[in-house]
Amino acid sequence: MQDLLSSLVTVATIDPNKKDLDAGTVSSVVITGIVVVFIGLILLIVSVSIYGALFSAAAKKKAKKEQEVQNASNNSENLPKPAPAPVPAPAADPVIEDGIEEETVAVIMAAIACMSASGGKKLVLKSVKTSKPQRSAWSSAGIVENTRPF
Amino acid sequence: MSIINSFLDTMAALARDSGFAGFMADGGWKNIVMILISFVFMYLAIAKGFEPLLLLPISFGMLLTNLPGADLYHPDFWNYKTVGDNDHYIDYGQILQHGGLLDILYMGVKLQIYPPLIFLGIGAMTDFGPLIASPKSFLMGAAAQGGIFFTFIGAALFGMSAAECGSIAIIGGADGPTSIYVSSKLLTDKSTIGVGTIALAAYTYMALVPIIQPPIMRALTTKAERSVVMGQLRPVSKTEKLIFPILVTIIISLMVPSAAPLVGMLMFGNLLKESGCCDRLVKTAQNELMNIITIFLGVTVGATTQADKIMNLQFAEVMGLGVVAFSIGTACGVLLGKLMYIVSGKKINPLIGSAGVSAVPMAARVSQKVGQEEVPTNYLLMHAMGPNVAGVIGSAVAAGVLLAIVK
Repeated sequence: MQDLLSSLVTVATIDPNKKDLDAGTVSSVVITGIVVVFIGLILLIVSVSIYGALFSAAAKKKAKKEQEVQNASNNSENLPKPAPAPVPAPAADPVIEDGIEEETVAVIMAAIACMSASGGKKLVLKSVKTSKPQRSAWSSAGIVENTRPF
Repeated sequence: MSIINSFLDTMAALARDSGFAGFMADGGWKNIVMILISFVFMYLAIAKGFEPLLLLPISFGMLLTNLPGADLYHPDFWNYKTVGDNDHYIDYGQILQHGGLLDILYMGVKLQIYPPLIFLGIGAMTDFGPLIASPKSFLMGAAAQGGIFFTFIGAALFGMSAAECGSIAIIGGADGPTSIYVSSKLLTDKSTIGVGTIALAAYTYMALVPIIQPPIMRALTTKAERSVVMGQLRPVSKTEKLIFPILVTIIISLMVPSAAPLVGMLMFGNLLKESGCCDRLVKTAQNELMNIITIFLGVTVGATTQADKIMNLQFAEVMGLGVVAFSIGTACGVLLGKLMYIVSGKKINPLIGSAGVSAVPMAARVSQKVGQEEVPTNYLLMHAMGPNVAGVIGSAVAAGVLLAIVK
């Protein structure tokens, strides 16, 4: 036992070509290895937990603030409302160039509606016409590829 | 007449120098056996899908190196030259001057260039979010490394050298590049096993994870434990994901400097990914660079599988101890999972512990599959990814410890 403990303390490095390793040397590798791996990863657990807790607290604070703002706006909606604003006149129908299919117009209007929904603005489609490309698709792709790094 | 004689002499000389004559030479039959073994590994890679991206290049490297006369790889060039009493070195000048194609490419393995670059690609593909959301997963990643160190004992009992013990033990980390990294650094010309043997064992067992792990997982857990449905992980912010690779690099590199090349490159790749501002570099690390290095690594590691390193008792011992290492690693992970199941008040499913052996993402998928056998609606995959990626870090640390001790 005494020998085992003393070899545990003294074995710092082992010659790669050394054969017939004694029990003390093997035990030192096993114990050192497991302890170091656990210490390393426990250090990471502590570090990640600390900054995780900090970020979670910050996120909760932010969410609470947003909730308060939301509640405040809900309360203001419950107050007596001012006289309704005059309803804007409906937008005129868009001017559609001949040859453009209704489906194409529908897709464009859907895309605009989607964008305006997230931006909070009401956008209106006034006309749809075929644009004449100044460059071919190949030429445009070439320019995009060459200018991408800059 | 002299023309005919000259023609016949030339043909005879060509026949003597050909590879066919090499097969007939002393020990040539071993090359034939090795070529047949390479066919077996090619079959496993192509027909059975056993880690084909690496097993196919390895098996083809094995074929190339065993073709007599091809001179693509010279094992004797990699013998250490002794200088003084303690120092030794490889004569890279000789390799550059006289080496074959695979000798030149193998320098990337021997100089420990390829495995860290593979880790760069792995880092660029890995999402550490589940681990950040549940840091206790690190414990299972650490426990699964028990397979490495307990197998060290087994290899020592077979009377192997320290370098061989370390190289075989690291197979338990279930991480191919780490196994190659450690074995290429530890094994010397006096070792009876080669880097190729370790790589073959590591990748074969990694491919067999879905077969090796489930029986051990079922044997060590009860039905009630396997049926635990875990709650959803918290969302992780981008800033947390950005801090993580920097933090891990600093802590692990300061603690185990010899693990810095692997952990540093793994985390560098991850930082590139999470930064969101280096798309071109991330794409290169994930695809072109990773693929090129995989080809170089596979074919050159395969080239080291020469007959005298494979056709011996040690190869059988490596394969035997390799599966023991894998099994102990899995068992250690599951047992720690059981402990966490008790400590957490039955909130943690111990099956995710088996994913602590690296083998990303296969080991996590196995946890998911075994969990769903009990509760079909149970999704353990994201929970298992935590220990799984922790296992990658853990095996790199374990590799660093072995390299720090055996030198």
